[in-house]
Amino acid sequence: MNPLLQLKNVRKDIGKKTIIHDLSLEVFAGEVFGFLGPNGAGKTTTIRMIVGLMGITSGEVLINGISIQKDFEKAIQHVGAIVENPEMYKFLTGYQNLLHYARMTKGVTKERIDEVVQLVGLEKRIHDKVKTYSLGMRQRLGLAQALLHRPSLLILDEPTNGLDPAGIREIRDYLRKLAKEEGLGIIVSSHLLSEMEMMCDRFAIIQHGRLVGIESVQELSKQAQKVLLTVEPVEQALTVIKNAYPHMNVTPAKQGIEVSLDYEEIPNLNAALVSEHIKVYGIQVLTKSLEERFLEMTGGNEIV
Amino acid sequence: MSSIFSLIQNENMKIYRRFGTWFMIGLLALATLAGALIIKATHKEPENWKAEVASEIKRMEAELSEEKLPKMYKNYLKQQLKINEYRLEHNIKPVAPNTFWGYLVDSADIIALITLFTIIVAAGSVASEFSWGTIKLLLIRPASRTKILLSKYIAALLFALCMLLLLFIFSAVVGAAVFGIENIREPYLAYQNGAVVERSMLFHVVQVYALNCADLVMMATFAFMISAVFRNHSLAIGLATFALFVGPQVTALLAMKFDWAKYLLFANTNLTQYIDGTPLVEGMTMSFSLMMLLVYFVIFNGIAWLIFRKRDIAA
Repeated sequence: MNPLLQLKNVRKDIGKKTIIHDLSLEVFAGEVFGFLGPNGAGKTTTIRMIVGLMGITSGEVLINGISIQKDFEKAIQHVGAIVENPEMYKFLTGYQNLLHYARMTKGVTKERIDEVVQLVGLEKRIHDKVKTYSLGMRQRLGLAQALLHRPSLLILDEPTNGLDPAGIREIRDYLRKLAKEEGLGIIVSSHLLSEMEMMCDRFAIIQHGRLVGIESVQELSKQAQKVLLTVEPVEQALTVIKNAYPHMNVTPAKQGIEVSLDYEEIPNLNAALVSEHIKVYGIQVLTKSLEERFLEMTGGNEIV
Repeated sequence: MSSIFSLIQNENMKIYRRFGTWFMIGLLALATLAGALIIKATHKEPENWKAEVASEIKRMEAELSEEKLPKMYKNYLKQQLKINEYRLEHNIKPVAPNTFWGYLVDSADIIALITLFTIIVAAGSVASEFSWGTIKLLLIRPASRTKILLSKYIAALLFALCMLLLLFIFSAVVGAAVFGIENIREPYLAYQNGAVVERSMLFHVVQVYALNCADLVMMATFAFMISAVFRNHSLAIGLATFALFVGPQVTALLAMKFDWAKYLLFANTNLTQYIDGTPLVEGMTMSFSLMMLLVYFVIFNGIAWLIFRKRDIAA
């Protein structure tokens, strides 16, 4: 499958400082791709380079195989985006704002505008001036302008910012639907890690302008698990585990013993303990959350 | 790919959907009305216009007999003299400010106000998109930056054109209402190829308006450039209005001492100097000024384009 978006060794220098170091990644149709990183890591700069707002010092950004630098107009017509806050013309109505963007792309009809308005649930207020909108309504209008021209790549910077829990859930479900049913590639950046975990298929973690890692949420749950064993007597149990799994990482914890092992191995370990007459009171799987993984990868000493 | 017409339509929407624009139009209407009422209240009709013209002819003849007059000014005096003689011969009253046509010609002075308004609109056109943050959503559409900048520039000039038309219409309506239209058939006397000819007054008014526009276009272009380069609305308005009001004075002072002053922008923006008066520096001609204006025009727009096209949008 050809990637929808391809970043090839993208680098950005501002003055003598390198802001982004040789970033390469691919986003495919039908997936929601998360963009994570502490403040100032270069997320927004990367997004700005993808949509052509900032020049690229070296490397290449390809959208549907078309270079954003060499053929901007052709490459960008498949992209819908919100870059940072959805800033609109406040003295115009929501509808006039959409009309403004509709005129800039060929083939966006009045019917399409109405359709998008309905989609984001703004029918009642669309003819009011944007200055009377709440942040959540502006966010919805921002999403509407990004979807107007039926893009194949959607880039959303903090799309749930300012929405209430119901709104967040609605947008999340809608984005997942767009990816699964209409095959859009969606890039989302957010500082709400739990949010990202529920929304994304894969995510990239960026720090100091470098790609720290790309992981899929699926892989994350399959990774070696931490299991908390509540056993008695502890000393004896430790010997049993060390004998059975000599290479395993075992740490005695306050509540019991913490071990890292694959999901499938849990019953075997349990059997080994029981056969040695150790009392097993509980086996608790501690799944690694995106947050932990994020802190682990970025060193954990910076605010997201 | 978006067409330039849709882009201009968008820019127009952003200009005319704002309260400020309508406030400016209101001010323009007010200015024409106030101007007419002031003229009506203060203007004194000469008792005998023939005697006045005759005395003016005498004054000009006296002045012409002096030796040291600059050649251009001498020519100008001679022409005026011929025109005045023609008036007496054919019994054509000079155009007074308190007539329909007289008021229309004078209303061209209000173009300075339009220049100021156009500076405000042109300066805001690029800078506001940055301060609103809307530039980001504007530049991620299938429209090149060149096209977007061009559409903004054209929209600003269309605004100026629209204001000029409104000024003409307001002045005509106010002039007709306040001064009446009895003298509407009055001709305009011009001096052409050694003879006095009668011309249509409408043609003359259009000519005066057009000549007054050089300032307007150049200052709007200047403000537009500052706006595109510095992305700052107030700075662009400030610099352009400062230049508009101080530039001509400074240029006039320089022109008294230095010949090279003729290459300065403001030595060339006042095109009416070639129609009724003497050029700032001797030897300057209409075509020289038009060439100079073109050079400045290309420089201003070139700088705006070069910088806007390559700029990183980090707003």
